Amino acid sequence: MRPENYQPVEHPASQEYELYFGPNHPGIEGNYALKVRLTGDEIVGIRADGGYLHRGFEKIMEDRLWIQNVALVPRICVPDPPPMEETYARAVEMIGGLEVPERAKWIRAMILEMSRICGHLFILGGTAAPIGQYSNMFWGVADRDYFLDLFEALTGARVYHMFITPGGVRRDIPDGFLDKLSHILDYLEARLPEYDDLFFNNPVFHKRAEGIGIITQEQALAWGVTGPNLRACGLALDVRRDDPYLIYDKLEFDIPTETSGDVLARTMVRRSEIIESIKILRQIIQHLPQIKGPIRCNLPNPLAWNLPEGDAYARTEAQKGELAFYAVSTGGAKPWRVHVRGPSSMHAVQVLEKLCLGGRIEDIALIMFSLDACPPEVDR
Amino acid sequence: MSNQQLPEILAAVFREIPNLVFTEQTARRLRVELRPDTLPALLELLKGRAGYLHLSAISCVDWPELDEFELVYHLWSYEVKTLVSAHIYIPKNPGRYVSVYDIFTPAAFFERDIHEMFGVYFEGSPDMERFILTEWTGPPPMLKSFSSLGYVEETFKWEQYSPDWLKEIQANGGGIVE
Repeated sequence: MRPENYQPVEHPASQEYELYFGPNHPGIEGNYALKVRLTGDEIVGIRADGGYLHRGFEKIMEDRLWIQNVALVPRICVPDPPPMEETYARAVEMIGGLEVPERAKWIRAMILEMSRICGHLFILGGTAAPIGQYSNMFWGVADRDYFLDLFEALTGARVYHMFITPGGVRRDIPDGFLDKLSHILDYLEARLPEYDDLFFNNPVFHKRAEGIGIITQEQALAWGVTGPNLRACGLALDVRRDDPYLIYDKLEFDIPTETSGDVLARTMVRRSEIIESIKILRQIIQHLPQIKGPIRCNLPNPLAWNLPEGDAYARTEAQKGELAFYAVSTGGAKPWRVHVRGPSSMHAVQVLEKLCLGGRIEDIALIMFSLDACPPEVDR
Repeated sequence: MSNQQLPEILAAVFREIPNLVFTEQTARRLRVELRPDTLPALLELLKGRAGYLHLSAISCVDWPELDEFELVYHLWSYEVKTLVSAHIYIPKNPGRYVSVYDIFTPAAFFERDIHEMFGVYFEGSPDMERFILTEWTGPPPMLKSFSSLGYVEETFKWEQYSPDWLKEIQANGGGIVE
């Protein structure tokens, strides 16, 4: 299926040919396309082509009330929506000068870490699939479903929760929720050795992933790489540690790193991050019952809520990297401007193009999944 | 914010730039306003002297009453651990500015996006081709003068929409209920 704007390039008397990799292709993540020029199976030219999932969020948000956008923002990223809610809410809180109650902060951090595990399980399955290891993909999706059950019990929704609102969270946690969460964490921890046997220690995967799509430290910093992809280059940089929000300055967690910067390193960083998130969630399970108080600060009537004039830039360490919202208020009931900086806006375009160039066609899917490039964030 | 609280490394950089005004918004957030012609110098100095290696984003804001675009460069330093948001205003006509791609590689993506959505042209940017709206022929959609609802009402005449299946329903007494 070719898009309407597809124009093949004529290359007379050349071994080069052009291939449209996506938008309907099992090796591409989301609705995205890459125009690849090849000689044999070597990539001599590559160009990312986005816009297949452009829904105009930034424009739509300008026509909605501040509170209405809470329902809109999680839809920007499908595998990892809560950081979108959190970042938007924090930008609104920064402009409005709202103080989030302590209990709400802990609940929010719990949701963010649960979402991080969900996203990692999803993308680890995705990384395994392009090299033919489908069992890992099924396992990842199935284990993620246990967390979606928890989200359903907590928020009433499985994927788009709309639970984190400016000023706090929508509801308090239901009775017995922390026990359920603790049970699922025990289960996942017991599952990890099985994942190791199937995937992380699998010689086929190691042979396939080592030395593919290498990013050096200098390149990572120059190209604006963030998140697990940056940490796979040996740089222990994390927004949760450098620019702490919510309760992350009170939690104990390590920032896992790898040094080689290739597909294998990126995958192993994600594995270690699952363990760190389990550690964080256990601390939250331990502390949350002792923290009493409201779950939301007092808000004016949300349908007639004018935020004061001002602007704010909120950053979050999402599962894929640095997520940021820039919100501008002119004192009205609606945002004047909201700019979304998705973590993948770097990874899916410039970094992906640079890493694929000179590589081979069978590595494109592997590199894209290992970068965890999420096109819906790029298109917005 | 007094100069004592500001990290000395940043204060030294800000002193180099004429007509620079800065305010501390919250913890680790500095809002800087400056003249457009001095912005590349500020970015160079921040990168070279204060470790501002990470261009987090470039945001564009349309101000129709001022007839200006506001460009905001969000920079993060892994050393100083403070976000500097540098605000400049450029006139809408001709809506051109210089690219900072030679200082920060990620700028290329944001400049391309702003060109597509607001119509600002960045001289020296490596790629000003359309990325998202490849088949769009209208004005840049993020401009405040562009109304998405107005566009929908003008383009899609749903009152005139009458496919065969709808005619069939209408013949049986059904149809679109307003």
